[in-house]
Amino acid sequence: MESNSPKRRKLDHAHGGPIFENVASSSMGASGSSAFVLETDELLKEVKLDYAKAFPGLDQTLRQLKEAIDGLEQYGPIPINKASAEWEKTSRTAIPFPDPKPAKDCPYKVSFEKPTHINVVGSYTLQTMAKSQSSFAVDMIVVMPATLFSEKDYRDYRYFYKRAFFLAYIADALRKKLSDLDFIYTKFNGNALLPVLVARPQNQSSKPQNAGSDKARDTLNYEIRIIPNAPEGYFPTAKLSATSGAIRRNVSEESKDSKTPTPFYNNTLKSESQFVSYLKLLHRTSSTCASFRDACILGRIWLQQRGFGGDVADGGFGHFQWAVLMALLLQTGGRKGEPILSPSLHASQLFKATLQYLASSNLHKKAVVLGPNIATSETVRQAGPVLYDSSREINILYNMTTWSAFMLNEQAKLSLLAINDPQVDQFDSLFITKVDQPLQMFDLFVNINVPSNSPQTTSGISDGRCSTVAFAEDIYRTLKKALGERAKLISIRMPKRTTWKVTSSSSKSRTEVISVSIMCDPVKASQGREFGPLYEQKKDAAKFRDFWGDIAELWQFPSGEIVESVNWTEFSSLGYFGICQAIIRYILMSRLKLAEGDLEFHGQEFSNIISLSPTDKTSFDTVKTAFSVFEKDIRELEDLPLSVRQIAPISSETRYASLRSPAPNQRRHGTTPIDAMLSFEASGKWPENIASIQRAKIALLLQIGRSLEEAKSGIRTYLGLEDAERETENLTFLDIIYESGFAFRLRVHSEQEETLLDRQTKDQTLDRHVRTEAAALLSAARWRSTILPLHYQMISTYCTRFPALSSSIRLTKHWFNAHRLGNHFNEPLIELFVLQAFLRPHPFPMPSSTSTGFLRALLLLASYDWREDPMVVDPSDSLSTAQRLDISTRLEAWRKIDANMNRTTLFVATPFDVTGVAYTQNIPRVIATRMTTLARSATKATKDKGAELDPRMLFQSGLRDYDVVIHLSSKAIKGVLRDDGTKHSHFKNLDETGSSEALPLPESPVPAFLRRLQSVYATPLLFFHGGPEDTVIAALWNPQLHIRGFSANMPSSFKPMSADADKYELNKEAVLAEIARIGGDLIEKIDVKDN
Amino acid sequence: MKFSTSSRHLSQIQAGWINDKMPDNSTLSEEFSTLPISIPPLPSYPVHATHYVYLRRNAPKIATPNDSRSLYLANVPADSTEAHFRALFANLVGAGRFESITFEQDKKDNKISHEPAQAERLAKHHKKRKREDEELQHRKEEAAAELPDTWTRILHRSGSSAVALLADEKSVNVVLKAVKKLQKSKKYPIWGEGVKGGVPGFGAQWLKAHNKLSYPGNDAVQAIVDAYFTVFNRKEEEAQQLAKRLRNEPDEDGFVMVTRGGRSAPARRDEAEEAKQRMLDKQQKKKDETQDFYRFQLRERRKAEQMELLKKFDEDRRKVQAMKEKRGKFRPEA
Repeated sequence: MESNSPKRRKLDHAHGGPIFENVASSSMGASGSSAFVLETDELLKEVKLDYAKAFPGLDQTLRQLKEAIDGLEQYGPIPINKASAEWEKTSRTAIPFPDPKPAKDCPYKVSFEKPTHINVVGSYTLQTMAKSQSSFAVDMIVVMPATLFSEKDYRDYRYFYKRAFFLAYIADALRKKLSDLDFIYTKFNGNALLPVLVARPQNQSSKPQNAGSDKARDTLNYEIRIIPNAPEGYFPTAKLSATSGAIRRNVSEESKDSKTPTPFYNNTLKSESQFVSYLKLLHRTSSTCASFRDACILGRIWLQQRGFGGDVADGGFGHFQWAVLMALLLQTGGRKGEPILSPSLHASQLFKATLQYLASSNLHKKAVVLGPNIATSETVRQAGPVLYDSSREINILYNMTTWSAFMLNEQAKLSLLAINDPQVDQFDSLFITKVDQPLQMFDLFVNINVPSNSPQTTSGISDGRCSTVAFAEDIYRTLKKALGERAKLISIRMPKRTTWKVTSSSSKSRTEVISVSIMCDPVKASQGREFGPLYEQKKDAAKFRDFWGDIAELWQFPSGEIVESVNWTEFSSLGYFGICQAIIRYILMSRLKLAEGDLEFHGQEFSNIISLSPTDKTSFDTVKTAFSVFEKDIRELEDLPLSVRQIAPISSETRYASLRSPAPNQRRHGTTPIDAMLSFEASGKWPENIASIQRAKIALLLQIGRSLEEAKSGIRTYLGLEDAERETENLTFLDIIYESGFAFRLRVHSEQEETLLDRQTKDQTLDRHVRTEAAALLSAARWRSTILPLHYQMISTYCTRFPALSSSIRLTKHWFNAHRLGNHFNEPLIELFVLQAFLRPHPFPMPSSTSTGFLRALLLLASYDWREDPMVVDPSDSLSTAQRLDISTRLEAWRKIDANMNRTTLFVATPFDVTGVAYTQNIPRVIATRMTTLARSATKATKDKGAELDPRMLFQSGLRDYDVVIHLSSKAIKGVLRDDGTKHSHFKNLDETGSSEALPLPESPVPAFLRRLQSVYATPLLFFHGGPEDTVIAALWNPQLHIRGFSANMPSSFKPMSADADKYELNKEAVLAEIARIGGDLIEKIDVKDN
Repeated sequence: MKFSTSSRHLSQIQAGWINDKMPDNSTLSEEFSTLPISIPPLPSYPVHATHYVYLRRNAPKIATPNDSRSLYLANVPADSTEAHFRALFANLVGAGRFESITFEQDKKDNKISHEPAQAERLAKHHKKRKREDEELQHRKEEAAAELPDTWTRILHRSGSSAVALLADEKSVNVVLKAVKKLQKSKKYPIWGEGVKGGVPGFGAQWLKAHNKLSYPGNDAVQAIVDAYFTVFNRKEEEAQQLAKRLRNEPDEDGFVMVTRGGRSAPARRDEAEEAKQRMLDKQQKKKDETQDFYRFQLRERRKAEQMELLKKFDEDRRKVQAMKEKRGKFRPEA
């Protein structure tokens, strides 16, 4: 009523308007994010096929096939044994009988009769194919007439034998009639019971798609699958419930009542007669729900990016299952049978809702029934995942494996997480990123050779299921039970379905390899002892003993409780990886009788690259403890003129992130001390002059040193001078060396200094260069005093929260060093990259091991478009939307004033640094580009090679591409660090201070040398170097320094050109000769690339 | 991973290289004479290189008394020292002509003020007369307050310049003539030849010495700091006294300068800033309180929100459009 009042109407009109309403209804939706909707629309546009263009001549081929089949005459009936003996020979076409093959004395007869009808079904007719599919199959069903079969044909494979002959007969005829098509057999969705005939046009280009010209891109390779099936509703569903057994051949000796249920066989049979009815369902739905097709395509892409497919090797949940599920949910699914989805929803909403359903329905745990409730849920219960379509009485997931149901659920949950996270681009992680990359997802890989003598499995072979699948199910169940909470996710990959020629009988299986991928829970998996049920619970205890066998033992807790347990502590030193490996090896060998040689483990290689060890955490903890002792010692000093506010550690050792694990008293080997920042409470005592503040800091440090030495024994302090170029920079530090432990390097921060610098940068009356200088000093001061302490807190917090973060950071740092990028990226920045990979793992789960953490960081870098997007590392989501917008705007502003990215390349913001440039100073664009290229090729190798990847490959870097390679002499480097006690008599001041004393903390010579070179040759050369141990400094000439006319202020050493005396070119030889002179005995040789 | 910086790759990124700031006083090359210096080969880099130094009479924008007898040298080698140039000039025109040399970065250093803030402020208004002997004493004190160098030998930026001071005007002419002659004779002077007086070496011992020089000893530094603050405190005291004096002393126009330390001292700058912030906060609070009070305010706010929503939609559409232009963004990865 109210809405009709004139006033209200007027108001509505004022701000509503048709545009807004339109927008709101079509795209704002429940989620409120219009970008996602627009993006999915674009995606759909991109992947949609023009069917006539993509498959030229397909319709004609289909018609030809139909006519050919329709024109066939009746054949038979002939006895089965005669068919396999004589018909096969005369027609030279194999009959694809399923295993077990029919017995020689089988009394049944097989025949061919004209099919009742032939239909094209599936995504081709539904028009739900997507361009990105790897293969295109057009399904053509051939419905066999009921007259072929007799009443009891549902039993003992009889139907399948008859079907096989029917198919072979068609194959034989088509092969001879249509010569422009290739015919082969394959198993329908990997189901051994259902061989189908595949027809492929011969003239198809063998080239992979998207490689050729435009024309080749438009036309796609396709295949036509000819699928014979039973008349609609032919089989008695009552006798084919999940609990009934239809195969009696094996159990003939026993009484008829105790037949084993054969759910898989039953479901296959039932599905044979439901092809048409599902076709009808999908067509009906697509006509009632406008966006059904689009949602199907979205679902297809989502599944495809996660490696799910209808084939049992792909998990058995493909586009068909998705479409049927969605069609059913549009009809029913609610608690009272009401539909869950509404036909008026937008495609992206349908997709999200279906995802939500998959995430919440827990298919791997409980059977789900869709449709009118059936009386007994007993009839649907079976081992695998169940999604029972009660109106057609079929479990549509009968071909799905247990682990893939689990995976599907996990993936749906992850995707929902991404959708509900407002800070990430949900779209890319849902549809664009390829998630099906085992190395990015899993930590531990086991390749298992399936024993050639078909293994006797617990579930029995009598079900008609492929033996490999059944064996894989056994492996899954065993590992799941044995690993328990240690494994978060177990996935099994089986060899792909095979095709074989129509002229030969079914392909013989070679030794097949099943690869198991496991994602571990690092905390739970490193538990050394497995605890079972209480000793008193006899039944459970017996089960436990039975499962684990001899190694089960009793364990008494201090509280007196006695439990069953298994001891794995002997593997504890190998970390969780070693424990899991031991468990898997033991349980597979004892329960599934696999031999040692059948198992092959992968995944540990990444940790070996920098010899990470589980005990590293302890040494990092030691540093932290040592630091808190140090902090206490400083705070206890009484005679300081100012009161201490904070002492913050800023070295990577204290935040679990240094490349090498720290060890005390390594200072003889050039180890850097642990940096710390000391700040005092605000005080008016600081002088009002920046240079004088620096001197006042020295006085403070000296006093601290004196007082510390007096107060504690075993402490020595040394005041050291920084490599400062100006009096206004920080001039000194104090090295504090504990005789028994670590060394610390203390610097003082003065707030007054920051205030003065800040005032200078804003003072318009000052010269421009004074202001830029002040700005540089200010950012350096803030970096040390504000950002690094907060960074320390953030990284150390998350290193304790995410167990794999620390080692991933260390490996990633090694990667940067291995590619000689280490001198351009400061350590905190690399830490942020890795942290971001952990915080925004979408579409993957949070990395749980070194390898996944490292590879995910590379993936992040590979996809990081630093030209246009800022990276916002915001662990606790503390930045508001406005702040985020502000960050983006700031990046845009930078790009506007500095379009060539000479000053700002990467833009990384954190809650405590919204300027985005504090972490990324002095990264030339060449270096940033190189990082991206290297990360891209690394991720590509990871994707292509899969679990077979040799991780060392990712860390190899050649020297060929550098213009200049400076080889340093490792002997001379060592000589610098070793104190030989000789007096350098011509340095007068050295003799006075007494050079007999050992060097307090000698700096590693290579970085010091490189720093000098960099300050001298910043313009002509770009240096590449990785870490203090690297004895090679590589460099590229600056291509910008081209030939120029004379100027008094050359950017580098120039020489007149011999050809034209007025032109000057870079004097490369003189520059290198200078470097050789400066390096002296430190340089072994300088290699120059000749052009 | 394979290293792949192909030439194409380089040309793409060329534009991103930090280009040096353009020279501010570009001059014609005719004014300069070229002095080639032959660089002897080293085992690590066995190449005969030639370094080119460009020189002319020194003519800075702000003239100094010594201009007539000094030479401006462009592009001096990075490892130049005074001894090197002394030897070089001795080689060219014989000993005794060369007096000293000032490198580019030597000049930069002395600009930074160590004056207390108040002294600096007052100095703008009041030129202090100084007695010469006092001046000398002060300079000595300031020298004692200098921190020692951490490198035995300083490097110069590649392509930097220097000014060489010669004995007299005649020497300048002699040098220029000798340089001209070199063009014909091609007997270039050799770098580092005849350098006397123990120039500290480079390489490992240079770095080693640096490691030692970085730790001059706590006591030595203490002495330096003490010296520094003696000077600083003296200056501060002088400034205070001057301020006191100026407080009641009108200048030639009859104005009295307001200085800190009077009865009602002006607020410190940070105090003033704080007060301003407080005031702004107060205003903001008042503004917040009166929002969403009247119906029209609510209505306007809602309207604004909807406009915002529309704007966001437009933005999203633009973003997607931009992505579309990039193409391939919407293709699922294979």
